[in-house]
Amino acid sequence: MSDADVVFEARLQRTLDERYHHRHPFNLRMHAGELSPEEIRTWVRNRYYYQTRIPIKDGLILAKAQGPAFRREWIRRIRDHDGDAEHSGGLALWLDLAEAVGLDRDSVETLESILPGVQSACDAYVEFVKSHDLLESVAASLTELRAGELMRERAAAWEAHYTWVKPEGLHYFRARTTQAPADAEEGLRFVLENAKTPQDRDRCVAALERKCQILWNLLDAVDAAHARPRLARHAQLRLDADEPMLVLPERAVRLNDSGGEILALCDGERTAREIAGELRRRHPEVPAVEDDVHHFLAEMRRLGALEHGDHRA
Amino acid sequence: MTMHRPYNLVAELTYRCPLRCAYCSNPLGHTAVHDGLDADAWARVFREAAELGVVHVGLTGGEPTARPDLAAIVAAASDADLYTHLVTAGIPITPEGLETLVGAGLRSVQLSVQDSRANASDRIAGVEAFERKLTFARAVRRLDLPLALNVVLHRENLARVDEHVALARRLGAHRLELANTQYYGWALTNRAALLPTRAQVESAAARVEAARREPGAPEIVFVLPDHHTDRPKPCMGGWGRRIVVVNPEGLVLPCHAAAELPGLEFYSVRERPLSECWRDAPGINAFRGEAWMREPCGSCPERTRDFGGCRCQAWLLTGDAATTDPACALAPERERMLRVRKEAEHPAPDLVYRGASIP
Repeated sequence: MSDADVVFEARLQRTLDERYHHRHPFNLRMHAGELSPEEIRTWVRNRYYYQTRIPIKDGLILAKAQGPAFRREWIRRIRDHDGDAEHSGGLALWLDLAEAVGLDRDSVETLESILPGVQSACDAYVEFVKSHDLLESVAASLTELRAGELMRERAAAWEAHYTWVKPEGLHYFRARTTQAPADAEEGLRFVLENAKTPQDRDRCVAALERKCQILWNLLDAVDAAHARPRLARHAQLRLDADEPMLVLPERAVRLNDSGGEILALCDGERTAREIAGELRRRHPEVPAVEDDVHHFLAEMRRLGALEHGDHRA
Repeated sequence: MTMHRPYNLVAELTYRCPLRCAYCSNPLGHTAVHDGLDADAWARVFREAAELGVVHVGLTGGEPTARPDLAAIVAAASDADLYTHLVTAGIPITPEGLETLVGAGLRSVQLSVQDSRANASDRIAGVEAFERKLTFARAVRRLDLPLALNVVLHRENLARVDEHVALARRLGAHRLELANTQYYGWALTNRAALLPTRAQVESAAARVEAARREPGAPEIVFVLPDHHTDRPKPCMGGWGRRIVVVNPEGLVLPCHAAAELPGLEFYSVRERPLSECWRDAPGINAFRGEAWMREPCGSCPERTRDFGGCRCQAWLLTGDAATTDPACALAPERERMLRVRKEAEHPAPDLVYRGASIP
């Protein structure tokens, strides 16, 4: 490897050190055994949506490739996920995991109740691959460099802490401990060979940063669903000409009535899911009102209007 | 006339300031005025502001914490149901003083530092203050108040955006305002020493973009300075539109520099209610809305976004406050701004400190 390659690879690794979702608070709590069964189930159900996007993303990457050698290697990823027959492959293993944590297999498979933040994070990944070239798309997949290690830790943590989960559910994690490093090795080799200019290398690092952000956003959305949000101390909810208004240090945000209604429910006692459920009860006529609630709460968190509250049941 | 509802009151409590910043944008002519309005007068202003629809009040100066009656003023703003924000240099206030203000209803703080390095910050401020500012910032966070950090950018510190961001993160600021020097008041004297080149500005902008992508980054406010863009800034969000300024003498202004403009009559809260000063003062109505605009502004589709740019800058550069801001590429007197830009290419002369400050 040339000096430039060594420096480049170190930049990619540093990006992962700093931004990969192993550092996300939700992941840290998962591996420390602190998640409730309800939180585990939300994660498994929602993460399945990500799993279903992977073969689609890999299909898009295949369509960008110019030669048989690349395709021959890369197509293995689709096989790993989809299997060679029904009830085999990574997606089926994930559904086994869903059953092992007490979820209904069909309802997970049909993607019921996916959190909007999870959906937009996963869709953003597919969109990224659609709109960027082969090099950047492969660079984005390099989060796999850390996946093997993460899966090993995860399998051990689940075995130790979540003894209520049926052990056969953990096969997915174990399968990935070997698949992910092989995939990552291949992807890294491709990126090192094909990123020749400083601009190429910058594009690759940016693509990997973007992908880390997507994984991070996914966990943010899952984490937020079980948080018990409350209005931040510095935020003030008031009426302005009979309409609710949120006042923050540098801005005032006019809310509609349902915005005011949702914030009024952010009392540090209810979880985001419970607030969504309450809005559903009050407004049965509004389609997908739960999604609106999660979107709204995400926007409020972005503005710094909400404190996360704690997760303890 | 349409009702112009102000949302934000800028309450300039005093011209006093312990700092002597080379880029001070306070007016030059008013250094002899001590604290004009007393706390009772401010209390009345706050009540009238709330009636007009004001939501936020920024307590500023000069240095607002130089006023011994600041806690009473904060309490009055809070009683009027205004969201009370302190804009300070972090001295002479102490952590204990801050605690008193929080007890009185203070909700958030903006702290200015002149740089993220002690010696450079103190050099611009003309006094040793940096360490005290950091102590103050830590007190703000200890009291669980949101902290915005403000760094004024110029030729000497523009290259160190990363350090400014690192300081904001270290202090736990939720927001970092990287404010390009505005060349009004005293800052004009030092323009040739402070104005950055376009290349410096662009490389800083790229650093800001990278910093914004960092996980957990604070909100970073950075606007390209209008000296180097072809579009004028929407100064104050439009003259006499959303922001009402009351200066230490009680004059009601559309911005803190507007009293310098010749021939404009503004009203004082000493003589009239705030609502009348805001709605009816000939000076405020002079450039409110669009009727005053000449071409090319009058028919320009951008006029609803940039409001014709900055009146003070138009006056400073051309001697005519009613002309298009020369920051606009379409301005008839564009040449004057291009000449200013060239100053940035020359070696910097020595800084001249603001000396007539009242201790």
